[in-house]
Amino acid sequence: MIKFEQVSKTYPGGFQALNQVNFHLRAGELAFLTGHSGAGKSTLLRLIALMERPSVGRVLINGHDLRKIKSRQIPYVRRDIGVIFQDHRLLMDKTVQDNVALPLLIEGYTHKEAAKRVSASLEKVGLGGKERHYPIMLSGGEQQRVGIARAIVNKPPLLLADEPTGNLDPKLSMDVMRLFESFNSVGMSVLIASHDLGLIARMRYRTLTLKDGRMIDDGLANDPHEPNASMQRGSGV
Amino acid sequence: MSLLFRSKKTDKGAKATQVTGFRRFMMYFASHIQQAVGSLGELWRTPFASMMTIAVLGLSLTLPATLYVVVKNSQAVGTQWDNPAEITVFLQKSLNAQQVETFARRVEMMDEVASVQHIGRDEALREFRDYSGFGSAIDYLESNPLPDVLVVTPSREYSAAGRAATLQRQLAGESEVSEAKLDQDWIERLHALIRLVEDALGALALLLCIAVVLIVGNTIRLGILNRRDEIMIMKLVGATNGYIQRPFLYTGAWYGIIGGLIAWLATFLLIWWIRAAVLRVTELYDSQFRLQGLTFNELIILWVIAVSLGLLGSWIAVRRHVAEIEPR
Repeated sequence: MIKFEQVSKTYPGGFQALNQVNFHLRAGELAFLTGHSGAGKSTLLRLIALMERPSVGRVLINGHDLRKIKSRQIPYVRRDIGVIFQDHRLLMDKTVQDNVALPLLIEGYTHKEAAKRVSASLEKVGLGGKERHYPIMLSGGEQQRVGIARAIVNKPPLLLADEPTGNLDPKLSMDVMRLFESFNSVGMSVLIASHDLGLIARMRYRTLTLKDGRMIDDGLANDPHEPNASMQRGSGV
Repeated sequence: MSLLFRSKKTDKGAKATQVTGFRRFMMYFASHIQQAVGSLGELWRTPFASMMTIAVLGLSLTLPATLYVVVKNSQAVGTQWDNPAEITVFLQKSLNAQQVETFARRVEMMDEVASVQHIGRDEALREFRDYSGFGSAIDYLESNPLPDVLVVTPSREYSAAGRAATLQRQLAGESEVSEAKLDQDWIERLHALIRLVEDALGALALLLCIAVVLIVGNTIRLGILNRRDEIMIMKLVGATNGYIQRPFLYTGAWYGIIGGLIAWLATFLLIWWIRAAVLRVTELYDSQFRLQGLTFNELIILWVIAVSLGLLGSWIAVRRHVAEIEPR
């Protein structure tokens, strides 16, 4: 699903965020990406979502080389990638309904069709019936879940989450992780960047570790108990 | 629709909802209308800022439109007198009434001449006294300083400018004549003046249009920057630049549509205002002249110009600024 080949990213000014990163995330796989702050987790996710371009190397999604994606094609790539942020990035002056419907309206759904999908999506994250609320009326955990509902509303094959539990207490964090698990169980590939090592350890999924821009552990070599089922499920790249 | 997962989507096959081309077209159309109405709603929510820009647009167009009306009417006046074809012949003051009469008849007999009107010197003085305002001063004059005048209208084939000038020279050569004037100079001056005003109008209109484009562009630019976060999020979830730009372009179009209406209204008011003044002037000239306002076609053109300027201004702003905003 996601393949990094010798990817380096150097920001203007000389800071090297990623250094020759290689890994392969199979379709239908759920994996964690850990590392200290500044290890390059966000940069790695941003390369997948085409918010950045690699300085060297290539990133492939579903076998497509992202280098060949022209800038006017980027929006269409992003429609297949759900992205969740620590700060959830909601439109505060729009209702939950409007926030979650945004990707659908952009894709050209009618309001009626969008409304159906939005309520299904909100139902999934446990916010059924909150369509008319404004984000400000919701708790931090609920806001985060609105962000998740928006990311999955158009059923993307790939879901990226950047510190989705960063602002949440352990109980809420676990709930959010269970959500990702449930999305994964219906075939969505999920990559979660998080430095909450305790939580990750409890989840027992493949864990990729970054340190100072290098991938020091891609979660395959030293974890023989990695459930093979999730790897067999995906046949594509 | 999907760039990276084209094969995957088709694998799912029948489960995915089929969207026909016609449906897609209708959805596209509907989303345009939604965005257009949404932009109007946005204007309504910030009425003060919007009205300022709209008023600038409308009033900026009012000035060229009103000037255009003035020029158009001056041209109409000009063409009324396009064939001057009147030669004013001032006779020698030494001639007596008999000689003047004979000369007038002789001129009238000429092939080139259609008619001759004789204004006697006494009559001319009387007229001058009545109209000039020098009434009592003239009474002090010992003798009438005015000559006899023949107003000669050339026949049809001699009324063209060149031929009329030949006739004028011929009349000027007569011994009874002190001076013959073709009443053409002032029309040439009028035309030159109209041309000057036209050119000035063109330059002024161009400058004002540029100003309108810049003002609309700046307002839209501020609108874009205000919604920077929203645009970033929209881009993150896969909005194309075109989709993001559309509401701003519609806003520009609305500026033009409403600004055009304001330009109509203001132009009507201005013309109504100067109509009274024009009427007074034309009464003095004993003329049947009526000030013509903007015709239906001209109103539509004015409107189209307003909308185009609004669109152009917003287009310049979105071209530059929407592409600039990238999600972080």
